[in-house]
Amino acid sequence: MRLAEDPEVEKFRADFSAFLDAHLPSESEAVPRPRSSSDVPDWARAWQRTLFDAGWLLPGNPPEYGGRNATLPQQLAHLEELARRQVYHSFNPQGLGIIAASLLTFGTQEQKQRWAVPILRAEITASLGMSEPGAGSDLAGLQTRAVADGDYFIVNGQKVWTSGAHDADVLLTFVRTDPQAAKHRGISVLLIPTDTEGVTRRPFGSIVSPDDLDFNEVFFTDARVPKENLVGQLNQGWTVAHGSLGHERTMLWLNYAERLDDLIRDAPSDQEWYATLLMDVQALRLLGYRQLSGGRDPAELSVLKLLGSEAVQAASLHALEDRGPEALVHPARTGPYSHMNNENFISSWFERYVRSFSGTIAGGTSEIQRNIIAERILGLPR
Amino acid sequence: MEFEFDEDQRLLQRLVRETVGKTQGRPEAELWRTYQELGWLEAPPVELAIVLDELGYVADPTPFLATATWFAPLAGRLPRGAGTGVCDGTGQFVLDADRADEVALLTRDGVRVVGGPELETERVPSFDPGLHVAHVRVPDLAPGIPDLTLMGLAISTVGSCRRILDLVVAHVKQRVQFGVPIGSFQAVKHKAADMYVAIERARALAYFSALTIAEDDPRRARAARMAKAAAGECQQVVFRHGLQLFGGMGFTWENELQIYLKRAKVGDLLLGAASVHRKALLS
Repeated sequence: MRLAEDPEVEKFRADFSAFLDAHLPSESEAVPRPRSSSDVPDWARAWQRTLFDAGWLLPGNPPEYGGRNATLPQQLAHLEELARRQVYHSFNPQGLGIIAASLLTFGTQEQKQRWAVPILRAEITASLGMSEPGAGSDLAGLQTRAVADGDYFIVNGQKVWTSGAHDADVLLTFVRTDPQAAKHRGISVLLIPTDTEGVTRRPFGSIVSPDDLDFNEVFFTDARVPKENLVGQLNQGWTVAHGSLGHERTMLWLNYAERLDDLIRDAPSDQEWYATLLMDVQALRLLGYRQLSGGRDPAELSVLKLLGSEAVQAASLHALEDRGPEALVHPARTGPYSHMNNENFISSWFERYVRSFSGTIAGGTSEIQRNIIAERILGLPR
Repeated sequence: MEFEFDEDQRLLQRLVRETVGKTQGRPEAELWRTYQELGWLEAPPVELAIVLDELGYVADPTPFLATATWFAPLAGRLPRGAGTGVCDGTGQFVLDADRADEVALLTRDGVRVVGGPELETERVPSFDPGLHVAHVRVPDLAPGIPDLTLMGLAISTVGSCRRILDLVVAHVKQRVQFGVPIGSFQAVKHKAADMYVAIERARALAYFSALTIAEDDPRRARAARMAKAAAGECQQVVFRHGLQLFGGMGFTWENELQIYLKRAKVGDLLLGAASVHRKALLS
């Protein structure tokens, strides 16, 4: 145990910081604003490409995929520096963090060149088609069918939540390819371009506003998908799912630490909840750093997600209540505007509170995290 | 920063676990001698935290905690025999004051060390029968609780909470109702998971406090308060869910659960409960 940073990590952080000073787009350049998690305006595409070309997009990747083979602590320093300055490296976060990452792990050389690199260079955007009306926490129960037909799969079924799908060029879609097999063993993953005939996307509003369009229903009606778009082995989709969500989860806790820091900045209070907030963010960081040192049980990521997401929710509720009737005002801006960040994070107090539920519902509900902790860490019977 | 034990610290943890596992239930004097022979009293802050984490796990009956974290940081040395310190300005509820050979007093004129038997002390009857706390009557006391004192109580409390969770997990795995172990019910699992998260959170803050003391980092005073507050919050969750999940059996004198529940509760009540330190963090 030591407090001091590794000098190599500090050098890395300083280099990245200097790069940001030299290349960040100005506020006047950063318009128009993105509308969804797959809507990336031209200025933001150029920004992401600048990062890619300089090896600062995902520094853990090799140079040909926008990185510089950085170590885990260096990757964390990169994300911390972005967070400190409230800068998004991509306005298509799931494209970068889940879809491209999955393709780099499970895809063929050709898929990496044809899909992953364009996603990383923000030439195209991607969304993730996992959940279905009947398959949420029980993801393995998904029923969207893909049937082999010559050089194609014929896809029928429906996805839901599919963030940003209406603005995405391609969907990483989990489909059932063997209905006879046990439910985890009959799933495959397909890249489905959204302009494929038979793919219909219907965005729908969130609790915040009918115009807040990120969620989608996606319907597949005899959609023909070339077999070369199969990602990973046939019927091995569960492995890809675990890998995909693994990519998302390793440093996901940092997002919660950022939201907690936002609340520390925007909702100063002399009430005790504020001290709890200070303690929560400190504990979350400590446990997150410890997780990076390697050799930890991946199930412990559930501790980080549960602690982080519930702390954000608790503190957001206190911030809302502290403001009394003032908190009725909506829309509103409740924190300093940062043109390289997502405006959701400084929206009305009500919106900030309700958006905290994305942390406790999406990406494995708090209930599922508790099950994982109880079963996989504490060894309670399933 | 690096927030994982290094190889030596892991070795120490293993040694402490083995030792306290083997010696649990032995006479107090023998335990006390063993700890002294092993040099645990001289351990620097992080290593001391490792020891106290395990001594809390067994609700250690010796004056180790008071000697290492109440006496030593005030006096700047170890006592002859057992020691404690008076540092909250009142002389009320001082750990082990009734059985200390030397007592360090924080007074308005600085720290003064006196022989324990010279002091007028009055042991306080407590719900924790293994606990020694006493009132000390001395004039001119001043408040100023050392960071190490708060950290020591915090990590000991977390250790007791870990024991409670281990006992609860073992219980719900073997206790069968409705034909299945009750640990298979989500209502039970989710409480156990919340206990685990509370422990991880408090334990991280306690070790961070130890680390800031070891490196004399400017954050040390706040880190110590955070550690103490988090241990108190942890104990609230672990006590409530722990006693609840044990059902009637946890409510009996025979069941060892009560020993650790009480020790955990003591850890919150001494030196300011969670709320006191949360408020202090805001000023």
